[in-house]
Amino acid sequence: MKRLLLFSLLFLPNPIIHYTLTIIHAQETFPVNGVFDKNHNYYAFKNAKIIVDPKNTIEKGTLLIKDGIIIQAAAEVKIPQGAVVMDMNGKSIYPSLIDLNSSYGMPEVKRAAGGGRQGGPQMESGNRGAYNWNQAIKPESDAVKMFSIDSKAAEEMRKLGFGAVLTSQKDGIARGSAVLVSLAETQENGVVLKDQAAATYSFDKGSSTQDYPSSLMGAIALLRQTYLDAAWYKSDPGKKEYNISLEAFNRLQSLPQIFETGDKFSSLRADKIGDEFKVKYIIKGSGTEYQRKEEIFSTFCSYILPLNFPAPYDVEDPYDAQLVSLEDMKHWEMAPANAGIMEKKGLVFALTASDLKEKSAFWKNLRKAIEYGLSEREALNALTTIPASMMGMENKLGSLKAGMIASFIVTSGNLFDEKTSIFENWVQGVPYRLNDPNAPDLRGTYTLTTRGVINNTLKIGGEVEKLKANLEDSAKSSVSISVSAGTISLSYTLKGEAGPTRLSGTITMKDSTPRFSGRGQSTEGVWFDWSAERTAGFIRPGKKDSVKKAAPEFGEVIYPFCAYGYRTDTNKLLYRFMHRWDAILIKNTTIWTNEAEGILQNKDVLITEGKIVRIGDNLSVPKTVKAIEIDGKGKHLTAGIIDEHSHIAIAGNANEGTQASSAEVRIGDVVNPEDINIYRQLAGGVTASQLLHGSANPIGGQSALIKLRWGLAPEEMKIYRAPGFIKFALGENVKQSNWGDNNTLRFPQTRMGVEQVYYDHFTRAKEYDAKMKAWALLKPKDIEKLKLSAPRRDLELEALAEILNNKRFITCHSYVQSEVSMLMHVGDSMGFKVNTFTHILEGYKVADQMKAHGVGASTFSDWWAYKMEVKEAIPYNSALLVKMGLVTAVNSDDAEMGRRLNQEAAKAVKYGGLSEEEAWKLVTLNPAKLLHLDDRMGSVKVGKEADVVLWSDNPLSIYAKAEKTIIDGVIYYDMEADKRMRDEMQTERARLIRKMLSEKSGGTPTQKPVGKQPKVKHCMDEDDL
Amino acid sequence: MKRELIFILCALLSFVVKAQNPVPAPAQSKSILLIGGTAHIGNGTVIENSAIGFKDGKINFVGAASKADKSTYQEVTDISGKQVYPGMISPNTTLGLLEIEAVRATLDMRDVGNFNPNLRSLIAYNTDNKIGPTARTNGVLLAQVTPRGGVITGTSSVMMLDGWNWDDAVLKADDGVHMNWPQAYSRIRAGEDRGNFEKNKNYQKQKDEILEFFANAKAYCDAATKEEKNLRYEAMRGIFNGSQRLFIRANNVKQITEAVNFSKQMGIMRMVLVGGNDSWMVAELLKANNIPVIVTRLHELPERAEDDIDQAFKLPYLLQKAGVLFCLNDEGDMEAIHTRNLPFYGGTAVAYGLTKEQAIASLTSSTARILGIDNIVGTLEAGKDATLFISTGDALDMRTNNVTLAFIRGKNISLDNEQKALYEKYKTKYGIK
Repeated sequence: MKRLLLFSLLFLPNPIIHYTLTIIHAQETFPVNGVFDKNHNYYAFKNAKIIVDPKNTIEKGTLLIKDGIIIQAAAEVKIPQGAVVMDMNGKSIYPSLIDLNSSYGMPEVKRAAGGGRQGGPQMESGNRGAYNWNQAIKPESDAVKMFSIDSKAAEEMRKLGFGAVLTSQKDGIARGSAVLVSLAETQENGVVLKDQAAATYSFDKGSSTQDYPSSLMGAIALLRQTYLDAAWYKSDPGKKEYNISLEAFNRLQSLPQIFETGDKFSSLRADKIGDEFKVKYIIKGSGTEYQRKEEIFSTFCSYILPLNFPAPYDVEDPYDAQLVSLEDMKHWEMAPANAGIMEKKGLVFALTASDLKEKSAFWKNLRKAIEYGLSEREALNALTTIPASMMGMENKLGSLKAGMIASFIVTSGNLFDEKTSIFENWVQGVPYRLNDPNAPDLRGTYTLTTRGVINNTLKIGGEVEKLKANLEDSAKSSVSISVSAGTISLSYTLKGEAGPTRLSGTITMKDSTPRFSGRGQSTEGVWFDWSAERTAGFIRPGKKDSVKKAAPEFGEVIYPFCAYGYRTDTNKLLYRFMHRWDAILIKNTTIWTNEAEGILQNKDVLITEGKIVRIGDNLSVPKTVKAIEIDGKGKHLTAGIIDEHSHIAIAGNANEGTQASSAEVRIGDVVNPEDINIYRQLAGGVTASQLLHGSANPIGGQSALIKLRWGLAPEEMKIYRAPGFIKFALGENVKQSNWGDNNTLRFPQTRMGVEQVYYDHFTRAKEYDAKMKAWALLKPKDIEKLKLSAPRRDLELEALAEILNNKRFITCHSYVQSEVSMLMHVGDSMGFKVNTFTHILEGYKVADQMKAHGVGASTFSDWWAYKMEVKEAIPYNSALLVKMGLVTAVNSDDAEMGRRLNQEAAKAVKYGGLSEEEAWKLVTLNPAKLLHLDDRMGSVKVGKEADVVLWSDNPLSIYAKAEKTIIDGVIYYDMEADKRMRDEMQTERARLIRKMLSEKSGGTPTQKPVGKQPKVKHCMDEDDL
Repeated sequence: MKRELIFILCALLSFVVKAQNPVPAPAQSKSILLIGGTAHIGNGTVIENSAIGFKDGKINFVGAASKADKSTYQEVTDISGKQVYPGMISPNTTLGLLEIEAVRATLDMRDVGNFNPNLRSLIAYNTDNKIGPTARTNGVLLAQVTPRGGVITGTSSVMMLDGWNWDDAVLKADDGVHMNWPQAYSRIRAGEDRGNFEKNKNYQKQKDEILEFFANAKAYCDAATKEEKNLRYEAMRGIFNGSQRLFIRANNVKQITEAVNFSKQMGIMRMVLVGGNDSWMVAELLKANNIPVIVTRLHELPERAEDDIDQAFKLPYLLQKAGVLFCLNDEGDMEAIHTRNLPFYGGTAVAYGLTKEQAIASLTSSTARILGIDNIVGTLEAGKDATLFISTGDALDMRTNNVTLAFIRGKNISLDNEQKALYEKYKTKYGIK
């Protein structure tokens, strides 16, 4: 080592202290079989155009390397004596490319056949040993220990120009460490560039056979708890347990943290977790970032973007074409623009070849991305300097500076030019030849002489590396041609001959004009002499060179990116809440106030800044304020409908029913603003919804309270400062009564067991709460003096403690009277109140008890007989509960019914004879009360949030249609605008279909139409598991 | 009015026994004249201030109140200000074949095998099912009870929703054979696109199986002598000779087109399309071939996100405009319990384009025509069964639907049901009036 350094210092023209890489020395520990064979020669690449990095180019210079390290790259380099010198005249040298999302050299992930659920539940980890409780948390997974060189995969990547990849096994939620390796094939010890180069994560539990988590929100909750557990584990000096996984998790925290996500919203979700735990992830994205560029940019994360672009759909059959959604069509068109759009937005990103089905499509797609707006300079950055610096390896990889690893590619010209060839890929100073840079161009027209007679014309065309030839005889006979190491062989069958004539000869060059000569054998086996003289050079047939293609045109991004998405140019103001400061004046209308005033006739309502500001006669707006005036004559204005029980707009499974309690999961983590049912329900007059966890377990997950702000981002959907809610459930679903014979293991299986789940959990929650409160009272100096460590934060118990502290409210799925009484008893004895019983179809049987407990009800209007426990459900339930003085709502639990809740409320007039005003409150003011939002919404009252609907008729009538649905004073649904959007959508689809058809007829391979029907969720859905 | 009071009093007093279904009504013994109501005949016409007379279960007078001869009726009831409708018919339903959806022991609509024309819903129809009475309460008085599952699901019968057993409740036994056309698109089971839809790869095979079955059944039915009797083929005889209808469930354009062509090829004399999501796109074909449609449940989400958000709601209007005969039905999730909401699908169709009388026809006369029972029921016309009901308000709107009297074949049926009994029971518990 010291010797090497000395050597360098002595012999370098400009002494540079270069990095002493372990790579060279690693193999020193190995015994040598045979004669010691090490090469410390200098290699000089002179007269090259050297692209040092995307900013610096040496037009004509020399690259000098030794021992796998760059010694110097400069215009003037003094080449040491004894160097191997190569003339690179006309060629370019680029730093080799880096891919940070590889599984190169990793063993295949073995997945259990059949999947877990078939054989019944698996409650515990299948991993034996001192590991984490959950099988999907495997930070101990160490890529360097699994890595072995894979020649085939290495060659494939080198061909594309890559020299190094970050590789890891892509399996699990905390996936463990990744290793940065070169694509050389010397020996594993030599190619590992950086062990523990990054820690990797995802929301996909991968090969884990354990039930938990079964949902996206469960995966998020698990990761969140793991961060807390790891912090507790680290801080606990007593170490109550030894945990290999948490040890590893903590160890990996100082590394770059890479999070692989499946779509744009999951990137935002990952960033949110990162913010909670002060981690800035490098996010491996999905290629859909352009669809939410503002939010993606605002994560301030750096990204790794894929280059896989969907093939056009085969839309020749107009009916089959209907399967393909608008977003899939648009994404087909816009995917290549992703990188360019995000570059303009200012996003920092690397590029990866990892998601390509065929790696060979990499260059084609990269060039397409450039054609669609990505700059060449940023493309090069994204493949060299950016991934290098993401790995903290900017001083070793990604550019061609002294001291860096000698990994570079030699090309015929501009790397991004279609005609450019990569001749050589040098990895750590080891050359891999891809295309012979000195291969003579044999293309042209030859006279072919056989047996001394000029008897044919031979034409050679194609590409230098892949020649094609034919004879200019009457049949234009094709000639198979192969060239290697200065020899050529040709074979062709002449018309009228039984078989092929075969020629073999040598190539000689004279003034760069090739000539072939040698011996051949006729089909009868007769030997003869032959030769070929070139008479004309090659002319590329009909190809226009260097004509700059017109920039491709593509449609615009719509918000949300699906059917009925708003176009930004027409709705930009709405999109960013700007309309809030405009006024809406609704004149001469019938107002269902839900207040003491009752139903007012012929009044005006003024809305501005998101609030109802005036109700009265002859209202007007000052000329200075921009206002929309709406004639409300003959129409009815009401508060917007609030759906207390909804499962729309949820990404992934709405149930994390794998454990009896999943209080730690949050629907708020998985709000999906691209559910078409949001828009459909806006058209039904719904303005706000409680998105509930499913009913698969006694203690479900935390709700999200949203307004149906169609077009906005997930976080913008949520109601600001909404109180916390959690779903509980009783009865057949939580007992798994209708789940088949495999599901008889998870506790509870009876209503008796359900009670014990609550007692047990609330007992533990009380103890936990006391412990946490006691800890909070301790003074820091006492903690230090007594060497105390903080109790472990448990998000499940924390949510339950919030209930005990009146900071989180229960909405409980319930049916029969016995279980309803039971939960109220548990609540009374454990010190909490049930806020709402939802469904509560036998509520009418225990209305008196419910009244005494102070609980509200949210029920179906007329559902029954779908399960044993709803045999005695009656449509008079809601009316009876109202008459008993309970706050009662009617909810949907169904995406279809959610758009007709006004009609469901009307059924309480029919069944049980509520007044129309009382019935209307069932879907407006009462759910607002149940959600503790009645001070802000639920009635048409000055000062309340302007969530109102203008109906064509009495809102309880089946003939009534919502004409305008207004949220926060912004019109989100307008019947007239809806008609326009339908036309626009049809025009846009027609345009995209025309474009796909023209691509197909132009020979582009297509994919078969695939339809995505969004699954409609109910809380009793069991097949989601 | 007095009658109603008595009814209510009875209900109040007798909630203890009302845990059972109401007692089937006795046959009409006195002739009845309903006078002064607004009569919705069912065929599009309305008679204000009408009189409807019926005797021995048959309507014998329909006309203006002024034209009725009150003296010929033993009972004259003033229904001024109320609405009279023909009893609504729920076609293509499993009502009476099941009790509790989640309890397998209560389910009788689906059996083993793909070609089961010989299965008869008639004999499994339980007159004491608890759901039927809740439908009557809203004006649905008849149902075409239909098996489910497989390709040929079985043979339906039209039932009156009142009776002691299926043999006295039947209106028309074995009215038609029901078939599911193969899906044009099917769910992808594995891989990246799992859960999404693609062209059904087995479509041709499934179609061939149908062709083969029908060809064999037809040959069997045409043969002069039989070596051995085949119950499945025997059950197909009616659809070949035209005495029974063939109901084919198909929803998208390709399925519908192929089903129509298939029927023609097989010489099916009376085909009815069931479902028909996309039927409006091939209305010309249906009209040209005289094929009526039992329209898919209106309260369903559109199939595709790109569809008009009111696509399902306006389907009846689109068919009406195109001149295709259609009726409304309730097939779908929890269909039996939603039978009572059938009138409201009519209301939705009105909100999205139909006139009220067109919507009423699509629940009464059109349904009767499509099921081939229009000579007996479906309109308020002399000679037909006195199967009708009276509502204080518009029966198509849940806000006003309030059925106070109903007759099936002249029998004054009870409008009670177990749910009303429970309501009364708990009103008593709380002392609510």
